[in-house]
Amino acid sequence: MAKQYDIIIRLLMVGDSGVGKTCMLCRFADDDISSTHVSTIGIDFKIKTLTIDGKKIRIQIWDTAGQERYETITKQYYRRAQGIVLVYDMKNEESFKNIQKWMKYISDFAPEDVELILVANKSDAYNSERKVSKEHGEMFAKEHRIPFYETSAYMDMNINEAFIMLARIVMKRHKKEIDKQMEHIRLFCREDSDAHIIEKQGKDNNGCCVLM
Amino acid sequence: PLNPNPDSNWSQYFKDNDVLLQIDKDTRRLLPEIAFFQRPTNYQCMEIINAESETLRKRVEYTVLNAGDVGKNWLGITNVHQKKRSLPDEYATLPEGQEAHWEVVERILFIYAKLNPGQGYVQGMNEIIGPIYYVFASDSDKEIQEHAEADAFFCFMNLMSEIRDSFIKSLDDSASGINATMTNTMLKLKSKDMRLWLKLQEQDLKPQFFIFRWVTLLLSQEFPLPDIIRLWDSLFSDEKRFEFLIDICCAMIILVRDKLIDGDFSSNMKLLQNYPDTDVNLILTKASDIRR
Repeated sequence: MAKQYDIIIRLLMVGDSGVGKTCMLCRFADDDISSTHVSTIGIDFKIKTLTIDGKKIRIQIWDTAGQERYETITKQYYRRAQGIVLVYDMKNEESFKNIQKWMKYISDFAPEDVELILVANKSDAYNSERKVSKEHGEMFAKEHRIPFYETSAYMDMNINEAFIMLARIVMKRHKKEIDKQMEHIRLFCREDSDAHIIEKQGKDNNGCCVLM
Repeated sequence: PLNPNPDSNWSQYFKDNDVLLQIDKDTRRLLPEIAFFQRPTNYQCMEIINAESETLRKRVEYTVLNAGDVGKNWLGITNVHQKKRSLPDEYATLPEGQEAHWEVVERILFIYAKLNPGQGYVQGMNEIIGPIYYVFASDSDKEIQEHAEADAFFCFMNLMSEIRDSFIKSLDDSASGINATMTNTMLKLKSKDMRLWLKLQEQDLKPQFFIFRWVTLLLSQEFPLPDIIRLWDSLFSDEKRFEFLIDICCAMIILVRDKLIDGDFSSNMKLLQNYPDTDVNLILTKASDIRR
């Protein structure tokens, strides 16, 4: 039961429909290599537990539908996010242009201290298929002072790196709270394990409950 | 094509192409757990096969190619790359003279979008037409197979006339919109199982997290295809099918109540978003109980 005391951080994925958000997430959370995913309707949810800098972190990731119809539903999640992954498809210029739109939603609906990263997915594309140059992506990211990654969910390139980078900067941003939580966990875990032993003994005594 | 007037035919043509590409993307990945939609149809639509005018397949190819500013030798080059990296070509199609089932579905959805310009194509409609088309196109009666496209189109139009409101953003808050359906489901749950309802409230497990998809897609993403067909049989044969849908959603929640009561937020989210393998008849029986 110790898991309920883990540190949890909440990430959100946004970007146009078909840029590979679900693919990236499945790669990261489940190490799922299947190339076909059904379209996301509304919102999807995954969890990944990681140890970062010696801290055990549970990352909750909310995957959103990219199509406009679902924006009213997905906008409700911005408020909860501590970190947001902005995804575009480097083979699709429109999806890169629309990053502006997603940035606007973020400034309208997400908390002010939300951390962002920009991801150009599908870096397995042939040169002839690429529509958005690396420099363009980098320039945009620099302008907004956010990290930038070119990833391929298909080839498993940079996926972990991107998510972990975001997790790190979210942790840095919320360092004070996290340290507090860690202290809490230390105390709680001790209590928890004691309680566990006593509960066991209690059960041996005809199920009497011993309260601490 | 350079006419900047937004009402020009060309402007409409390009807008349609965007819709078509979206449909194309979604129909290619329709029900990926079965191979059916990738297979060629048994009865080709001869008008399409022998068409002199532009078919949807050609249109998608041209649109993708044009958007790419690629040279004449593009195909040659990619083929070489393809062999080297064995990357699945996103836009591969069956040879001339053959059509895959997903292409028929694409045509149905594109025509639906053209006929309903106010609504257009919304992701998720593919999940509604999928099972309908499958039932006709895999029927043991050859004649039914032959007319699968027309029959599926007709049924899809009729079904959409009943459920279209959940695909329209501006109707979300109307009486027939998705929000009302979600609220009603939660109210029903509250009246049937107060403790479970409280648990969901306490964990802030909003109906938007799971019931939204259940209702919009009529549960078609929650179960394997044979189960969906069984479920839809009961659902569609019911006069008050949308009330029954609410009962079914309620039954699904109640059937996993023990796990929900014990679970934390994450495990409950996972449970409801990836509903466990369950005998559909059990769900239907439970739903009928709830109805009473």
